[in-house]
This record gives sequence, C-alpha cells and structure tokens, in this order.
Amino acid sequence: MMLEGNFFFRTLIFPGFLFLFLLTLFCDWFERKIMARMQNRMGPSYTGPFGILQPLADYIKLLTKEDITPRHAKQFLFTITPIISFSIFMLSIFCFPIDGVNIFSNYGFEGDLLLVLALVTFAHFVLFLSGWSSSNPYSGIGAVRIVTQFIGYDIPLIISTLGPAFLARSLSLTKIASSQNIPFAILTPWTFIVFLISLQAELEEDPFDVPHAETEIVAGYGTEFSGRKLAFIRLSKDTQIIFGAALAATLFLGGPYGPIPSDPTSLWFIIYFVLKMLFVIALLELVEAVCARLRIDHIMIGNWRIIIPAALISVIITVLSSPYIKPLMEAII
Amino acid sequence: MKATTPEEEAIIALQGTLRDSILESKTPRPRRVYIRVKPKANKKAVSSLLKTFPATIISTITGIDVGENIEINYHFWSGKTEVTIRTEIPKSKPEIDTITDIVPGASLYEREVHDLLGVKFIGHPNLTRLLLPESWPKDSYPLMKDWNPEHVGSLDASLEETLTIGGIEKNGGSLVNVVVGPQHPALHEPERFLFKLDGEIVVDVEPRLGYAHRGIEKGAERLMFFQDVHLVERVCGICNVAHTTCFCQAVEALGNIEAPPRARYLRTIVHELNRIHSHLLLLGIAGLEIGFESLFQYIWRDREMVLDLTEKLTGNRVMAEYSTIGGVRRDLTSTLGNEIKRGLKKLKDRLNFYREVLQSDPTIELRTKNIGILSREKALKLSVVGPVARGSGVESDVRKHDPYAAYEEAPFDEILYKDGDSWARLMVRLDEVDESIDIILWAIDNIPGGPFRTRVPRRMPEGEALSRVEAPRGELIHYVRGNGTAYPERVKIRSPTLANIISFREMIRGCYVADIPAVLISLDPCFSCTDRMAFIDERTGRKWVWSMRDLKDRRRA
Repeated sequence: MMLEGNFFFRTLIFPGFLFLFLLTLFCDWFERKIMARMQNRMGPSYTGPFGILQPLADYIKLLTKEDITPRHAKQFLFTITPIISFSIFMLSIFCFPIDGVNIFSNYGFEGDLLLVLALVTFAHFVLFLSGWSSSNPYSGIGAVRIVTQFIGYDIPLIISTLGPAFLARSLSLTKIASSQNIPFAILTPWTFIVFLISLQAELEEDPFDVPHAETEIVAGYGTEFSGRKLAFIRLSKDTQIIFGAALAATLFLGGPYGPIPSDPTSLWFIIYFVLKMLFVIALLELVEAVCARLRIDHIMIGNWRIIIPAALISVIITVLSSPYIKPLMEAII
Repeated sequence: MKATTPEEEAIIALQGTLRDSILESKTPRPRRVYIRVKPKANKKAVSSLLKTFPATIISTITGIDVGENIEINYHFWSGKTEVTIRTEIPKSKPEIDTITDIVPGASLYEREVHDLLGVKFIGHPNLTRLLLPESWPKDSYPLMKDWNPEHVGSLDASLEETLTIGGIEKNGGSLVNVVVGPQHPALHEPERFLFKLDGEIVVDVEPRLGYAHRGIEKGAERLMFFQDVHLVERVCGICNVAHTTCFCQAVEALGNIEAPPRARYLRTIVHELNRIHSHLLLLGIAGLEIGFESLFQYIWRDREMVLDLTEKLTGNRVMAEYSTIGGVRRDLTSTLGNEIKRGLKKLKDRLNFYREVLQSDPTIELRTKNIGILSREKALKLSVVGPVARGSGVESDVRKHDPYAAYEEAPFDEILYKDGDSWARLMVRLDEVDESIDIILWAIDNIPGGPFRTRVPRRMPEGEALSRVEAPRGELIHYVRGNGTAYPERVKIRSPTLANIISFREMIRGCYVADIPAVLISLDPCFSCTDRMAFIDERTGRKWVWSMRDLKDRRRA
C-alpha cells in the first residue's frame, strides 16, 4: 500500500501532474515576460506579483467561456483531440528524470528516448486531426501546414538526438543525462545548434510559426476552438514547449545534474532541471524576437537543403571526434 | 495655334481629333482644364488624350445630378495638368460607353457611379455594386438630388447570399474558395476578399468594398462648407490632415480666397508630421503582418514621438483639426518649433536603424523581395498612385508635379524605386519619412511671419474647384462644386486606396497564401477612406442619413 500511495503522489502531485501544470503556467509567464521585455513592453504585470498569475487567470477565463462546436465539425474528433494532445505531451514529460528519476520512480528503460520522440510525433498528428476535424478552411490550411512542417522537422530532430545517445552509449534519457559531467551542449555545440533549430520548428515559434500564422489563417488549426477546448489546445501548446525545453535540458545540458552536488539531492535536481529548462526557453524566445515569419515553402526548402544535411553532418562529426570527446566526458567527476 | 502652356497643349490635343464635338473648354486655374464634349464623344476624347500623353492616369469619375441630366466628369492627370472631360446624359436613359477597355483603372470608378447614380456603363465587364450592400433596393440612388432616405424601399436580405461563400468550388477541380474578411486579423478594417486557392497558391481574388460606407459625400451636401471641414476630416483617421487640407484648398479655390503664406507653411508642417506618423504606422504593421512582432513594437514606440509633437502643435494626437478654410487654427511658437526639430532629429537616427533592418534582415528579404510585383506598365494602366506607383518607378508625387501649400519652395526629392515589389513599396515609405523630416526642418527655419488665418464668408460663389494633395497613401482628390449658397452642391472625394486596391489582384496572382497579408499591407489599404456614404440597419431595413442637427439632438438626449 505504501508503494501505491507514493506512486499516486508522484504522478498526480509532485513531480507529476500538478507540479508540471504549475511549471507550464510559470513558463508561459516567463516566455511572455521575456518576449515583452525584448519588445520594449511591460508584459503581464497586474495579476499577482509581476503578473505571474496571468496565465492561470487566462485559463480560468477560458474554462468559463461558451464552448461552441461548429455544425459541420466531426464531433467526436473535435472534442477529443485537445484532451488527447495535452495528455500525450504530459505523458512524455513523465519520462524525463526530473528529480533524478522519472515520475514512476525508476531510471526508465533502455529506449525511452525513442518512446518520447514517438509520442511527440503522434501528438503532432493529433493536432493535425484537431484542425482537420473542424471543417474550416483556415483550420484545414493550418492542419496541412502542421503535417508538412512536422514530417520534415521530425527527421533532423531525431537525427540530432543521436549525437548525445551515441556519446552516452545509451538510448535511456536518465543515462544520457547522467553521463554529462560536461554538458553535451559544450562538448558538441554543432549538434546542439541543429537540435535547437529543429526544436524551434517543432514548437512552432518564429520564424517557423506558419501553422498558426494569425495574419494569414487566423489561428490555424485552432480557429474553431473555443472555451474549454481552446483552453486544452493552449495548454497542450504550452506543455509542448515545456517538453521541448525538458528534452533539450536532458540531452544537452545534463538534465537534473548540477555542477555542484548538494543536499537534499532530489530538491536540487529539480531546481537545476527547471533552471536549465528556463535557459532553453530564453534561447528560443530570443530567436523568436529577432525573426520574421517564413513562408511554408521557405521552411520546407530550408529543411531538406540545409537542416537535414546539417543534422547528418553533425552526427558524423560527433562520431569522428568521439575519441577526443570521451576523455573529456570522464575528466571531471 | 501653338501651345505655350501644358493646359493649352491638352486643349489643342483634344481639338485636333474631336473638332466640333467639343462644346466648351476652360482653364480657370493653373494646371486645371475642363472640357465639355458631346454625349457620344467621351471615349474618343479619352483615347486622344491617352495618345498625346502616354503617362495619363485616371484620377476619378464624378457623377453629378444636374436636374434633367446626369453629368459625368472624367478627371485625368496627364502628367502636367489635370484634365476634366465632361459630358451629360439624360436621366431617362442613363447610358454611356465604358472606357475600361482603354483605361482599365477606371473600372472601380465606373462601378461607383453606377452604384450611386444608376448610370449604365455599356461594355463594362463587371458592372456590380461597389459600395452599397447587395440587399440595397434597385432604382434607389443616394446621390440623386431627390433621393430621400425615408422613401427607400425595404432591404432584401436574401440578396446578400449572392456573395460567394467559402468552400470547394463547384466544377473547379482543386480550387478552394477562402473568404478573408470582413473580420480577419490581417485586416484592420472591415473588408472582404474572396481568394481562389489552388493549395497554397492564389489563383484569383475578388475584393468587396463598402463595409465602412458612411455616406460622407451625401452628408457633405447637407452641411455648410465650414462644417464640412470637420466631416471630411472623419473620412479617415490616419490621413485626416490630407483630407482637411485638400478640402480647404478646394473651397479656397472656389471662393478665390488666398490662405496667408504662414498658413501654407504650417499646413506643410502638419501634413508632413501626419505623413511620418502614417508611414511609421504602416511599416510597423508590415512587420506584424510578416510575423516580425519586435519590429512592430519598436517602430510604434518611435511613432509616439511624432504623435506627441502633433499633439503639441495641433492640440490632438491623431485627429488634428488643424486646417480650416482660409488658414489654420493654431500658430507655431519658436519654442515648439525647436522642440519639433529636436524630436525629429532623434527620429532620424532611429530611421537609419530601421533602414538597416529592412535592407539586411534575411527573413524580411525572403518575405518581401520579388513578392507581389507590379510592373511600371501595369501601374500606369491601372492608374495607381502614391508609394505604390513610386515603388514601381512611376513619378506620381503630387507635391512635386502639382505643388500646393509650401511645396513649390521646399527642397525635397521624389523617392522612386524600380523593383515594383513589396520591399520597394516599404522602402519608398521609409525614405519618404526621411524626406518629410527634412521638409519640416526646412519649413520651421523658413516660415514667413504674418497672420495664419483670414476670415472667410460662409457663402461661396457658384463654380467648381478640384484640389489634389499627396496624402500618405497617394494622390487624394476633392472636387467641390458650389451653387452660390453656404452649402456645397457636390463634394466628390477620391481617396488613394480606391485607386490602389485594383492593383492588388495583379500583384497577388501566383503568390502564396502566406504572401497575402504582406502584399496587401504594402498597398497600405485604408478602407474607411475608400467607403464613404448612409447608415443602414440590416435587420430592420431602416435607413437614414444623420444630419448635424440629428447628431446634436442625440448628444443632448
């Protein structure tokens, strides 16, 4: 019974669902605040200290709004897709070693990196279905753009995760994280850059935010959603950003392991992990602030001609230089 | 007879081909020619004008109810002078040959006259409603003198459905209709575009105007001249100074009033401040439309400087209420002059930064260069004006070629770009802001002393006057006809967007969906300018025009 109580506590409260939900809200606020400061604006500043409760207020407001389903929408898909996509992103974050171990209190299994990547690809397909099922021309175009963009950018993203996996000689997220005495972002910056660019595209941030380019296709696949469904769509987008940041932090920044081991370890693990995620989010936002939106054809051409070859080359460089990197990995313990 | 002035040249050119079809020709003011021709000779007159002056563009067509007949005025700018060719057609059989086959740019103007006066232009390819709603009753023409809003039949809402709705086109293969507007994030004013898409590529577009139609032209006939100044100011919130300046100049020309020199300089200063604010607004929005939010936020922050200066000079941030018939409302003190100079010098530094961004940022280059191309030939054919024309290398700056206010003396360059793409149209505006700053600095240093306003009578003599100014979006025309009372007989406004919107179709064909906002914004469309005429309540079918008195009553109530 003890074990089960612990299990429920970890999945539902800490560091599971509730913690991740609050973290999502915090990151949403952090993202908006950084963006606003870069653009010479205030950003959220009224709700709570420094406006930190603004995302929560937004969600509560959305939950109270009227929930409309268009007459021609595919009812079942339209209702279920926002929840499914949110759940999948949440589930994939559960696999990360947030406090040294993953949510299920174990060190994962060999290959959970692949599981996570597969889940996310599936979640993108669910987002596509959500746009496709709402029978609106804008949503339709947005949905097609999602598929086009994600099919393309999943490839370099997965290829660039091979670098850390190869160096750590493991496909387990925990092992990859724990084998970084010096983060892979410093040892293999070329892979990190390719990874960040593909991640930017996966998260639909500028210059890759074509699937929901508001001046072209209103809100893209999310156009017809309102009320609770919109809240879930928004939430799954925010969770996706958390997921991206967690993936980058685990694969390239050493996950929960900090420069100085301190007690209590599980608390410091979480602090380090969150700090690293915030660092990744700040990087992504910086790129977003200085870029204009590209066109879908630019994005596809850029992917096949530049990003995929660059990802392949980066893996080759990592493999070739691994004899020199290996000693560095073991140098400081 | 040998031509000595451009005005005579135009008259002689028409006399050569038309001979006795010309009933009357006069040149009341420099660069203004009025030629009356026989009813059937309108097309011949236009084609001979085009032959003599190949760079002729059509300014607008004015229809006037003159009792038994309807007078049709074709206003052309020949490159040197404004030629008005006019003819009369009987109300009983209001038909006239179209000129769209030789001047494609006349298409929208003919539709406007058809819509508001019921004139049939024989041979027009698409003679449908332009400003009024589809449900507007047939045979009810608001610009007729005997038109009464109380006696209009009921609206037929079922007619609204004749507008094509979105969805997959029947028998159109892979074509999909996508409706953009009347409400859409890319449009800041209500307007409706029907795009035919093949996947992500635009095959065709059909704009539908009229959603912000307020009946200003009709309303102007019910107000006195000095009241109309405030009414035309409300045609457009952004380029309001251009509208008042243009209207005041027209009325001054009508009444043979000379605005004092100091007023002409002050008008120039406010006009240019207004242009800077409008261009910066557009450049910011352009950033927003191509997804470059930071650029938008930065440019709009710097635009605040101009708004503050405008407020200090005129008393209002946006609606300047500055020009008036016979001068301006407020004077410029030397302290304020120095403050404006300081502020604008600061703005100039910022401009250099934005120019660098626009010229070197790779994402902006990808999104605007070689997108939405309008060639010089097409630009002339479609009679586009302002930065759109100058982006295609057409010399069209009214300030240079038909100077008014203090532009005759002011040193400035006409900005021309030959590329004809969205990028060139944005760069024209950026460089014009630079020129505008120079003009203001020059005007403040060289402003003559003396009064800034003269007293004018309310009653204006019978006659007509046509005034052109270079509004931020291009050539703006006000044609005013007086009948000897304090009320105008007819006020015709042609705002620049109506001239430019026709070129959107040309630019957007073959572009991607993602280019739609970027190309549309490079036109700087301002639809509230374009639509001006009666209030309609769609549900009850009630229609009315508010007079000033009604407005006052409402305020008291």
